[in-house]
This record gives sequence, C-alpha cells and structure tokens, in this order.
Amino acid sequence: MSPILAISGLSKQFGGVTALAGVDLAVEEGEILGVVGPNGSGKTTLFNVVTGVHKPSGGSVSFRGRDITGLKPHAISHAGIGYTFQQAMAFAGLRVLENVQIAGEHVRVNAGANHPWPTPLALLDFVGLRALADERAGVLPFGSLRLLGLALALASQPALLLLDEPAAGLNDRETVALVGLVRQLPGHGITVCVIDHDMKLMQMLCRRLAVLDFGSKIADGPTGAVLADPKVLDVYLGGDL
Amino acid sequence: MKTGNALRSLLPVLVILALIAAVPLFSPSNRFLSLAISAGTNVIALYGLSVLFGQTGILSMGHAALVGVGAYAAAILARDFGVGFWTALPVAALASAVFAMIVGIPSLRVGGHHFVIMTFAFGQLLAIVLTNGGDYTGAATGLDIAGPVTLFGADMSDLTRYYLMVVAFVTAAAVASWAIIHSSYGRTLRAIRENEKLAASLGINVGRHKIGAFVVSGVFAGISGVLLAYFLGHISPSQFSSFPSIYLALMVMIGGARLIEGPLAGGILVAFLPEVLNLDPVQSRIVYGVCLIAVIMLLPDGLIGGIVRALRVAFSGKPKQEAERDAAPSEARQ
Amino acid sequence: MDIFIQQILNGLSIASVITLIAIGVTLIFGLTGIINFAHGEFLMIGGIVTWLAVSAGLGFPIAVVLAILAVGLMGYILERGLFRFTLERPTNGFIVSLGLIVVLQHVVVLFWNPNQKSIPRPLTTVWEVGGVRIASVRVMVILITIAVVALSFRMITASRYGRALRASVEDRDTAALMGIPVRRYITGVFVLGSGLAGLGGALLIALFPITPFTGGTMVMKGFAVALIGGLGNIYGAVAAGLILGIVEGFSAGYGFSQWTDAYSFVLMILVLIVRPHGLFGGTSGPRMAS
Repeated sequence: MSPILAISGLSKQFGGVTALAGVDLAVEEGEILGVVGPNGSGKTTLFNVVTGVHKPSGGSVSFRGRDITGLKPHAISHAGIGYTFQQAMAFAGLRVLENVQIAGEHVRVNAGANHPWPTPLALLDFVGLRALADERAGVLPFGSLRLLGLALALASQPALLLLDEPAAGLNDRETVALVGLVRQLPGHGITVCVIDHDMKLMQMLCRRLAVLDFGSKIADGPTGAVLADPKVLDVYLGGDL
Repeated sequence: MKTGNALRSLLPVLVILALIAAVPLFSPSNRFLSLAISAGTNVIALYGLSVLFGQTGILSMGHAALVGVGAYAAAILARDFGVGFWTALPVAALASAVFAMIVGIPSLRVGGHHFVIMTFAFGQLLAIVLTNGGDYTGAATGLDIAGPVTLFGADMSDLTRYYLMVVAFVTAAAVASWAIIHSSYGRTLRAIRENEKLAASLGINVGRHKIGAFVVSGVFAGISGVLLAYFLGHISPSQFSSFPSIYLALMVMIGGARLIEGPLAGGILVAFLPEVLNLDPVQSRIVYGVCLIAVIMLLPDGLIGGIVRALRVAFSGKPKQEAERDAAPSEARQ
Repeated sequence: MDIFIQQILNGLSIASVITLIAIGVTLIFGLTGIINFAHGEFLMIGGIVTWLAVSAGLGFPIAVVLAILAVGLMGYILERGLFRFTLERPTNGFIVSLGLIVVLQHVVVLFWNPNQKSIPRPLTTVWEVGGVRIASVRVMVILITIAVVALSFRMITASRYGRALRASVEDRDTAALMGIPVRRYITGVFVLGSGLAGLGGALLIALFPITPFTGGTMVMKGFAVALIGGLGNIYGAVAAGLILGIVEGFSAGYGFSQWTDAYSFVLMILVLIVRPHGLFGGTSGPRMAS
C-alpha cells in the first residue's frame, strides 16, 4: 500500500544554512510514527515545511497521492492534515466550546458519518475537557491547554495528525493521559506523526522511529532496532537520550 | 451561542434606538437633530469598524477615506449621471467596498503593525488625490450635492424625516453587525483576532477573511458616506482625511468595539459631549483625546464594556469571564 | 541646472528634519513595537518652544537647546506615565499616541491659537555660487543634522550602550536575559527620540512657519522614511531620508509641487508591498520577531 504521506528529497536552506538536506520519509496509513533527533537536527523545520509555514527549497511532499508541496497552511489543513504546535495554542479570548466549534467549521474533506466525534461536545468528552466547555481558553491550566490544542486539531477532521512536541511542559501524569489519547487515534482512522526529542515519550507512543541529524535522516525502522543502531547511539551519545 | 441568548443581546440596542426614534415627538431643536444626524452617519460607519476591529482585530486608520469614497461616489453620480439617493446607495457602497479591497490586498499582505500605517497612508493619499482632482472632484472646495431624497414619494429632506431615516439606517447597521457577530463567519473572524497561526492551521484562509472583513466594513462606510453627503449638501477632501479617521477610531474605542452597544454609545457620546459640557470645539477635542487615552489605559472594553462589567460585578459579586476583555487584539504572530 | 541644485538643497534641508523624526520613530518601534504617531506633535512642540523662546528674546541657539530639553522631558514623562504600560500591547501604545496627537495639537491651539508661527531666520546670508543661490540657513540645518546623526551613529556603533541597544532592538527578550536593562533602554530611546524631534522642530521653524497641525504631515513622512529604511534600522532611515528629500526637491523644482506630499505615501506603500521589511532590512518589531 502506498504511504499516506510521502516526503521525498525535501530540503530547506535558510540563507546559507542547510536545515534539511534531502529528507525522504514515508508515513504509513494507520501508524504512529516518531521523528526524533537532537535540537537543531531539522525536526521543526521538517514540520514547518510540511505544514506550509515555510516553502521548501527542493523536494516534494505528497499526501494520499496528491502533491501538496508548498501549499499554504490553511490549504494543508483543507487537504486533511491536522497539526498542533510546540507552544500550546488556543484562541485564548474565546470559550473552550467556541474554540472547538471554530475548528470544525472549515473542514473540506469531510469524514461524514464516520467522524468519531460528531459534535464539539463529544470531542471535548474525548479529551476530558467537557466540564470546562464554558470557560475562556485563556484561563485553562497548561495541561488542559495542550489537550484543547489536540481537540482543535482533531476537530478539523484530519486523516493525518502531526504533533510537534505534544508533551512539552506536561508532568508525568498528564503525559500518560496524552499518550493514552494519541494511541487511540489510529483506531479512529487517524494516522499520527509525532515530532519530539523525548525518547521516553517516543518509546511509549511509536512502533517505528525515524531519526534526523543535521537535516538528514540517519535511521528509520522499528523502535527497538533504531534505538540499538550505533549511528543513532552516536548522535545521542551523552545527549538527551 | 443559543439564538435566544443572542437575540437578547440585540434587545437593548433596539430599545435604545426605538427611544431615539421617538425623540421628534418632543419637538427637539434643529441643532439637536443636525448633531444627531451626523452622529448617526458616523455610527453606521462605526458598526462596520466594529466588525473589522472588534471582531477581526485589525484597525483601520483610514476609515474616513472609505466614507469619503461613498460620499464622492454619490456626489459624482448625482452630477454626471443624474442618479438619485436610492440608486447611489448600493453603487457607493460597492465603490467603497472595492476601494477597501484595493487598499486591503496590499496592506494586509504587508501584515501586522504595518496594516494600520498603510490604511492611514491610503487615506491621506485619497485626500491628496481629491484635492488635486481639479473640476472632477471639485479640488479643495469639494462638491455640492443637490437633489431631494424621496421615499415612496415623500420628501425626506426635511430635518425630522431625514433624522428618522438615519435612525432606520443605524438600526439596519446594528442588526447587520449583530448578525455577523453571531454567525459562524463572526466566529471565524474572532479566531483570526485571537491567533492567526492557529486559525490557519485549522483551515481558515486568514488573508482572505481579513480582506473580506475590511470589504464588509467598507460597505458600511460607503452607506454612511452617501447619507452624510446628502445631509450636508456639500463635501470636501478635509472631511475624509486622516483626522476624521482618528475620530472614527476614537469613537469606536470609547464605545467599545466588541459590544453591540459600543458603536452607538461611542458615536452619540462623541457628538453630544461638547453640547452637554458646553465645550468649544478645541476644548472638546482635548477631552476626546484624554478620553481615548483613559479608555485604553483603564477600560479596555470601552466605556460601555466597563459599565457592563461593573454592573456584573455589582449584581453577581464576581466579574464574568466571558465578558470580552481586551480592546486590542493579542499581537499578530506569523 | 541652477534650479536643480537649489531644489536638491531645499529637499535635503527638509529631508534633514524628516530624518530626525525617522530616527526616533525607528528606534522606538524597533525596541518597543510601539508606533508613536504623536512623534510629529513632539516635533511641533519643539517648534513652538523655539518660537516662544525666540519671541521672549532668547537667541536661536539657546532656543534650540530649550526645545531639545523640553521635548526630551516630555518624552520622558509620557514614557513613564503612559507608554510603559502599553509595552505588552503595542497596538494600545499606538492608540494612546493617537489620543496624544489630538490632545497636544489642541492644547497648543488653546494657549497659542491655531495661526502660523514663525521666527526671524537665524541666518539671513544667501550665498551666490555660480548663479546658484544658497540660503545659509538651509546649509545650517543640513550641517546640524549631519552632526547629530553622526553623533548618534557613533553612540550606537562604538559605545557599550549602543551595542546593548542594538542587541535589544534585535531581540528584546534575549537581551533582557543577558542582563541588559531593556526597560531603561526603552526610556532612554524615548527621551533620545523625543529630543531629536525637538531639535527637528526647532530646525523646521527656522526654515518655515509652523502651525499646531504641522506634525501630521511631518510624522507621516518620518514614518515613510522609517518604513522604507526598515523599521529599527537607523542607517536605513538616513538613507531613505536622503532619497525622499531628493525626490521631493526634484518634484518641487519641476512643477509638481502639489503632489509633493503624495510621494512619501506612494513610495512607502510601494516599498512595503515589494519589501515588507523595508529596502535596507529591519525588524518587524519585538513581538513579531519570532
């Protein structure tokens, strides 16, 4: 089967600095893929180029067989890719429920009756924020804000969800809760790609890992094998593994 | 929001407007009616500005220019094509909307803080173009617009009738702005105001919607311009240059841009304050300026927002969270 | 050719005043993200102070110093009293500045009427060089500006404070983390920018009569220049000031003077569309830097 997201030869230069040097990566339908690498390895650049924040310098991205290279962020969302940001984000001045309503109002590829969360409240139930539906998002504690961010991305009915450091700033209990939610997503027909450097989180979430270093992919395979790869160990030696 | 709740939020404005419409029963002076009419034309433009600034979070400092496009369109249509008030109304609204789009596309592309400066610059440019436009625009003296406004055969030029007509237009503007606020379109605009990056990630075409909001505000401004031109009978470039724009922004902020009562309150306050306090024009402008600064520093929801919040505190003992808080949007990050 | 040189000289003397505003505008924006539209009124107040001082019998040089001090002090008071509370929301700072425009203009009208005010030219000599008439007062304005701009450059490039200031403009948060007292620099920049505007006002009234409403057009030109040069970029502001002065000089010299005011706006709009960060590169303000 062809992958849901196929990245080939993707590169990005900022001025003279090469942030991505021809990365190939395939995300298979229904999996939870982890993309890891030390700080500055190009993870966030990869995320930004795929989601349309930056235009790539070369290479291509195709999603479900459609070329989406260089599309604007909103068009990426219309294509069926949802994403959450490193900095937990919500519409701070609006109520939680209104946040989720907005997120569901600009869907182009509708999942129809198969949508696992038919109403905004059902989605708030799923992430456990229903009790806070009438609160202003700006007053939520950080952990709840992260969950709201996840709910917003899910409300846009993505087939593929990209998570950029989804557990940053969460305590252990909150992280476990988040992992529990994300692991349910493939069961709802949502493929997940997590970008993070937190190996503990990645081991909990992903069966397959891809490792970036200096803008290139240096390993890709089952989590156990990748973590035993001497090249990967070398990159992380004394690092944050 | 439930429709019942939403309708309830419109009610106070409708009641106030009904009272305002009843004023001619008490045989007010001509001076009062003239002041009220010019306040009313401003309020129509302010309802557009409240969609732009209050909902979308972008501020136009050239809004008087959009009013001016409507006014000049009406005057030129009357002079060159013998077109009357009711035909001029949609055409001028369209002209202002198109002008808004022409200004909006490059200005919003530039983004962030610069948008405000761009609108200001375009406003100034328009005033310069009108001043240098020779006979076509009447240069610095401007244009006369003669011609009665009739409605169902009745001459509306009489001050009281014109007053009632303006009140009707203000009501329409208030209802239109209320309908936008309570639609999913309004929610989309608020999402952009709160966080552009997040809005885009959820499939909202931020640039297009911002230009759209600017165009919508242009329609309000164009209608306001036609009413103003026919009321004054004479228009000139200085009425639509930078300072009238500042006053419009001031009014919407004094009233509060996010509440449906805001534009009405701001327009009326700014028009009648000097009368009430018996100030000459110079003193009253100083008072306006001080009010604007005080409102921004102390009452970020505008005067009416402040009163509403104070009442809520008084009645419920705690400030209600969803009382929308800040006059200015969180800074755009892109 | 004679007219040509004369007009360039005229353009340059006006450009000097505009550059003095633009430096303040560009530094204040670069550091705080606040677009201070009232900067033109600061300039106007500088002119009024000069007029008051000269009318009271003081010499022009003393009047200039008074204008710089008075407007600098005003900048200090306004920053401490108002603008520092708007640092988290630069848009509010901008709105406050709009309120200030209205207040400052009409306070001046209230006390000293709305009429034109002028002082006798501090220098009346007109040199004739090969048929070109050069008014010494214009040369004075240009020279003072060059001296002040050179001094500002030196302060900003060579001193420890200047380096810290540039670092703060580049990235306020990081600078603060590195122990630079950014808040104090913000106050300092407000005072410096205001002082320069005061000087600009004094020089302006030496060239032309001013009214309480002179600030409006001047600040737009100052902004145009600051934007064209790239907000936050002093070098850019100076270069753009030169360009605008020469363009205005040309157009006045060749009979398009009624369009003179339009150039800065058209130029600014075009530059912003083509190069949103200005011709010479600048910051988009501290809040947008990420």
